[in-house]
Amino acid sequence: MHEKAKDLAQAVIRKEIGRREFLRRTGQLGLGAAASAHVLNMMQTKALAADFDWKKHEGTTVNLLMNKHPYMDAMIANLDNFKELTGMEVKYDVFPEDVYFDKVTAALSSGSTQYDAFMTGAYQTWQYGPAGWLTDLSEFISDPALTNPNYNWDDVLPNLRAATAWSGIPGAPLGGDGAKQWAIPWGFELNSVAYNKRIFDQLSMTPPENMDDMMEKAAQIQADVDGVYGIGVRGSRSWATIHPGFLSAYANFGQTDFTMEDGKLMAAMGTAESKEFHAKWVKMIQDSGPKDWSTYTWYQVGTDLGAGASGMIFDADILGYFMNGGGNAEAGNLAYSAFAANPQADAPTPNVWIWSLGLSQFSSQKEAAWAWMQWASGTEHGLFGARQMDFVNPVRQSVWDDADFQSRIAKSYSGYLEQYKASAPGSKIYFTPQPLFFNLTTEWAASLQKMVAGEVPVDEGLDQLVDSVNRQLRSVGL
Amino acid sequence: MSAAAKRPFMRLALPYILSLPALLVCIGILIPFGTAVYYSMQRYNLAFPMGRGFIWFENYQAFLTDPAFWNTIRVSLLYTFLTVTFELLLGLGVALLLQRRTLMNNVLSIMLMLPLMIAPAIAALMWKLMTNPNFGILSYLVGLAGLEDFKWASDPGTALFTVVLVDVWVYTPFMMILLLAGLRALPRQPFEAAELDGVPSSFVFFRITLPMLTPYILTAVLFRMLESIQQFDIIYAMTQGGPGDTLMVFQVQAYLERYQYTNVGRSAALLMVLWAITFILSNIFVKQWLRLRERARGV
Amino acid sequence: MGSDSGWKRVLRGVLLTIVALFFLFPIFWVFLMSFQTNETILRIPPSIVFEPTLQNYVALISGKLVSNAGVLEIAFMKNLGNSLILSVVSVALSLLLGVPAAYAFARFKFRLGEDIAFTLLSFRFAPPLLVLLPLALYFQSMGLIDTYFGLIWVYQLITLPLILWIVRGYFEDISEDIEYAYRVDGNSWLRTFLKISVPLARPGIAAAMLLAFIFAWNNFVFALILASADKQPVTVGALAFVTASGIQYGQIAASIVLSVTPTLLLALYAQRYLVEGLSLGAVKG
Repeated sequence: MHEKAKDLAQAVIRKEIGRREFLRRTGQLGLGAAASAHVLNMMQTKALAADFDWKKHEGTTVNLLMNKHPYMDAMIANLDNFKELTGMEVKYDVFPEDVYFDKVTAALSSGSTQYDAFMTGAYQTWQYGPAGWLTDLSEFISDPALTNPNYNWDDVLPNLRAATAWSGIPGAPLGGDGAKQWAIPWGFELNSVAYNKRIFDQLSMTPPENMDDMMEKAAQIQADVDGVYGIGVRGSRSWATIHPGFLSAYANFGQTDFTMEDGKLMAAMGTAESKEFHAKWVKMIQDSGPKDWSTYTWYQVGTDLGAGASGMIFDADILGYFMNGGGNAEAGNLAYSAFAANPQADAPTPNVWIWSLGLSQFSSQKEAAWAWMQWASGTEHGLFGARQMDFVNPVRQSVWDDADFQSRIAKSYSGYLEQYKASAPGSKIYFTPQPLFFNLTTEWAASLQKMVAGEVPVDEGLDQLVDSVNRQLRSVGL
Repeated sequence: MSAAAKRPFMRLALPYILSLPALLVCIGILIPFGTAVYYSMQRYNLAFPMGRGFIWFENYQAFLTDPAFWNTIRVSLLYTFLTVTFELLLGLGVALLLQRRTLMNNVLSIMLMLPLMIAPAIAALMWKLMTNPNFGILSYLVGLAGLEDFKWASDPGTALFTVVLVDVWVYTPFMMILLLAGLRALPRQPFEAAELDGVPSSFVFFRITLPMLTPYILTAVLFRMLESIQQFDIIYAMTQGGPGDTLMVFQVQAYLERYQYTNVGRSAALLMVLWAITFILSNIFVKQWLRLRERARGV
Repeated sequence: MGSDSGWKRVLRGVLLTIVALFFLFPIFWVFLMSFQTNETILRIPPSIVFEPTLQNYVALISGKLVSNAGVLEIAFMKNLGNSLILSVVSVALSLLLGVPAAYAFARFKFRLGEDIAFTLLSFRFAPPLLVLLPLALYFQSMGLIDTYFGLIWVYQLITLPLILWIVRGYFEDISEDIEYAYRVDGNSWLRTFLKISVPLARPGIAAAMLLAFIFAWNNFVFALILASADKQPVTVGALAFVTASGIQYGQIAASIVLSVTPTLLLALYAQRYLVEGLSLGAVKG
């Protein structure tokens, strides 16, 4: 039926014609854009099969534990291709994000053999890895019998590859000596400014350029636009309050969470620079943040931007991306801008969050599960997800270079690509890896809450935090 | 002959036969309780498998000098006291208002149970929206009343008030329905006699209604108290124990320790303390309850 | 209990209105939200004027959410079914186990009787989190993890003590004379229990059943920890509307309305028994 289209697709795979040309010609054949893309995708999957025994695990069923997320939706949309390619079945258990990690911890800590692979964040691997729940994937990646020749691991952005690899020694650098690849990056977010262009235009304002500028502009929005507050940032009592905008700006001033002194981790939030930055951040929230900041998570920050309740946010770039569509009042009005808090800094230093894929140590069919993992994190699926679904931000350079993806983003997401280009080189994980990450970072957030509520002055609060963090590190022998 | 021989045995064994299946079903589930006690005496963080070891009561000892622990005790008890007190007073009041058996009262009593039928975790999500300063209807209404800067759960000064309010909204119907059932089950003679004698209604309430209702009140308070001191859903969904440590009650802290910080030993020890508190409280209540029942039946 | 004077009746009316407003206004608001899109829910300031839509209900019931990102599956009806199975079977099992036990505690003075009763009640106050971690391990090795059987067993911790204590109270309020008279007529103990005692305790059983059902229905953590996605109740399922691209308040509201409906129907049904039973139970003057 689509034989001609299939031939054309082969030509694309042989790189004889471009994708655009392919679409033009299939259009002449009377094939719609979606159907054409489908044919191409199918043929590319077949091409994938050429030099590798994908059918090795035919008939096996892989079990996944997944988070309800657009990445997962994109995977499901393309799953038939995987089934056809491998003859395997894939069963998935999807849990809401609110409870997802608790479910993962519960399943893994009971040694459940129920799940082979699962979604995880990079920070989580700092617990799961030392706990012995994860499989080191470097051996799989480097074994040509297990990994298809087109997998092209080096195509995955180097900072992300490093961020998901760790030796397990507290304080040792990510991706450093003896690092085990605990997970495979799947999709990621870096932190920058997303703003309401309608409001900014109305005030003839340009996006903020540094911390002081951000504070001023947020205050101006707060004062001049009725019913809209200046800037949305997270504030709930959770580690998730620290890792987006806050840590990105903190790192831009050259500050770190820990330093190594005589082989011991020491809390480093007590420096003069850190205190000065904390004071500014706290003042910004008090002056022009959301009134109920201390309950703000990803959802509230995004909802407010999408509904036109906030002028801008300093959070994950893809949060602003998601809010620019769907049933949001301000859809189409949002724009993006990279942000370096420190006027002396050369470039932005966004901390990153990486949704990754982990392979359970308790899985009884690791090789089969790896077959799915390499497909799901491969270039073909990455291109499919980035072009047609919300599988954004891609973790592969080749997907970023894809003209279709770029033109799709450039068309509907004003300034997104520029924001990414400016942010990407400096974006990585700025936390020091150590297994008490969640405990200590949550305490950091709680202490930030006390400062914003005026329960404790900033410098005093930070001194208390440093004492408490150091005490807890010592108590577990770090 | 054989029937006669069986009878005394049956009479002795019957109560055990009747109650044992229930007991066995519960005990089966509670075997892990012992394991949990064992965990509470271990240095046991899942992320430090090498450091695991038996340390007797060190986890408990660590609590004694930990201000966060004493804060948790204080907040948990305060929360329990406030919620149970308000729910009892309000529940009793509403039950008295609905005491008469009219169709309207019957329908209203069921309608008033609606808050109880929404899972607290989901109800809290809705309250969070309704108290949102931008889109929240309650914030809007409170703003109209002149309290424009009321920050609900996000301010340390009003956070406790807000979660207590949600708890009262969710669980008062529980008190109300138990007390209503109790009120309607009371014998009528004392009230009819009192009315004939022209006894003032406040005297009737405090000297007849309340004493006769006490076993019901104790049951309702007992159940509410045990639930309230273990409150998790509402507080976790509304503030995760914040702002700062304002609402860090037992189960929230234990949940964080267990599922986010993977510190199983500390979490188990914390929950053991909670269990001990509830055990003591309920012991006192049950003793009181039995005494009152004895007295009521003896009369 | 006499006839009210006029001002008393007015006062009662005013108080009841305030009470109804406090408890029912949030429900009313959620009900309205269930007929709105997220865009109209998230207006500044909130407004009661909107164009009603059924799209939230359509999405929940059909199990498909059509959005710009394609068609997404919603497992809500499956969750609702799970909630029904878990709550109904748990309460039924608790009645079977709890009513005879409650009768034993109310009617017989026996050695260890109070201790057994107290132990059973104490299951109510073992913090669920304390038991869950080891329990997951045991269930794993016994093959009970991710089974309805295992979950219903655990649910007994919620439903059984409640039924036991409430029903016991009602049994104690019933005069023994009627039972005694029936037994003297030559009826067996079992027959007396089934034909006389249980029907007499119907109001207590109905109230306890209703409350146990509600608490089982509202449980969140047991299924989350012990079962896979296809056995989750509505409480966990409703959280699926908290998505990376925004909280779908309209759908959460609709899911609340749908999940409250079975309980409300049950309550109205039990109310009939409650009223009828109470007129039997109270000793008439």
